[in-house]
Amino acid sequence: MKYIKTYRTLANFGRELLEKKTLAEGLPLISMYAKNVIEAQRCSIFIYDAQEKNLWTTIADGVEKLVVPSDKGLVGYTLKVKKPVIANEAYAHSEFLSEVDKETGFVTNNVITSPIFNSRREIIGVLQLLNKETDFDDEDMKFMIFFSHYVSGFLELTNIFKEEDTRREK
Amino acid sequence: MSNFTQIAEFGKELMSMDDIDKTLELVAKKAKKLVDAERCSVFIVDTDDNMLWTRLSDGIGRIVIALNSGVVGDTYNKQKAQIVNNPYEDSRFLGSIDNKSGFKTESILSIPIFDSKHDVMGVIQLLNKNNGVFDAEDLDRLVFFANYVSGSIELILMNEH
Repeated sequence: MKYIKTYRTLANFGRELLEKKTLAEGLPLISMYAKNVIEAQRCSIFIYDAQEKNLWTTIADGVEKLVVPSDKGLVGYTLKVKKPVIANEAYAHSEFLSEVDKETGFVTNNVITSPIFNSRREIIGVLQLLNKETDFDDEDMKFMIFFSHYVSGFLELTNIFKEEDTRREK
Repeated sequence: MSNFTQIAEFGKELMSMDDIDKTLELVAKKAKKLVDAERCSVFIVDTDDNMLWTRLSDGIGRIVIALNSGVVGDTYNKQKAQIVNNPYEDSRFLGSIDNKSGFKTESILSIPIFDSKHDVMGVIQLLNKNNGVFDAEDLDRLVFFANYVSGSIELILMNEH
C-alpha cells in the first residue's frame, strides 16, 4: 500500500483541521494536504450549491471565487456519476472543460476527482487534483475516496454552523 | 447538537485514540449523551464471519451477533436508521437478550455507520431514552454523528490490520 505512512499519521492532520472554525480556514489546509500526499501540482475543493446549481471554489489567495455550472466539466461529471474520475489525458476526455485553462492560463495534463458526501449521502463537494508527474493510479483513487470521506464530517459541521449563523442573522 | 467547539473538541479527542476499543467506548459515551439514552453499544461489521461484534460495557469481552439478527442486523441489511419504541411488539427484537441480562429494553435507536465506500461498517445502537421515546430529531442528530465519527473508526480499523 503506497500511502501506508500517510494513513498512520492522518489523525494528526484531522486534529489540525478541527482547530479551524470555518470553511474558509479549513479548505486551504485540506487542499495543501491532499496535494502534498498525492504529489499533484494543484488542488481545488469545489463546494456544491444545490440551489444555484453550481460549484464554487476559492482560487489562489482564497479571496477570488471560481464558479462552474454543476453540469459542466470533470467536476460536474463527478457530481453526475457520484464516483471518482481519473483523466490521465485531460484534453482527450469528453467531459473536460478547456475554457477554465484558457481563462487561467494553466495547462491541465491530468486530473483526479472525488465526490464528498454528507451524512445523508448527498454530494456536498468535489475534491480535484491536477497535474501529477506520473499517471493517477488506483492507490491515488483509494486515498482520494478515503480522504474525501475523512474530511466530510468537518465540511458538514462547518456547514451546519454556517446555516445556524445565517438563521440567527435573519 | 451542541456548539461547534464542543463537537470539534470531541473530534480531536477521538482522533487521539490509538485503538479500536477505546475509540468505540468514546463514541458510545458521546452518543448516549447526545440523545439522553441509558445504554449504547457500537457494533462493528465483520463480513468474513458474517457477524457484528461489540465490546461489553464492563470492558473485557466481546459480544457477537449474526449479521441478520435483531434490530441491529436489520439496520445493517436495510442500510437505514431505525427507531423502535415498542420493542416487545416488534418481530425483529431479540427479547432473549433481555431475559438473559435482566435488562428491560423500552426503546431502541439504531444507526448505520458507513465507510468511505458506502458500505455499512458498523451500527450504533442506543437503548432506552430517558424521559420519553426516540424521535426524528434524535435520529437526525445521530445520523450526523455517525458520519462524523466514521472516518476515525475506518482509519483505526485499517491501521490495526
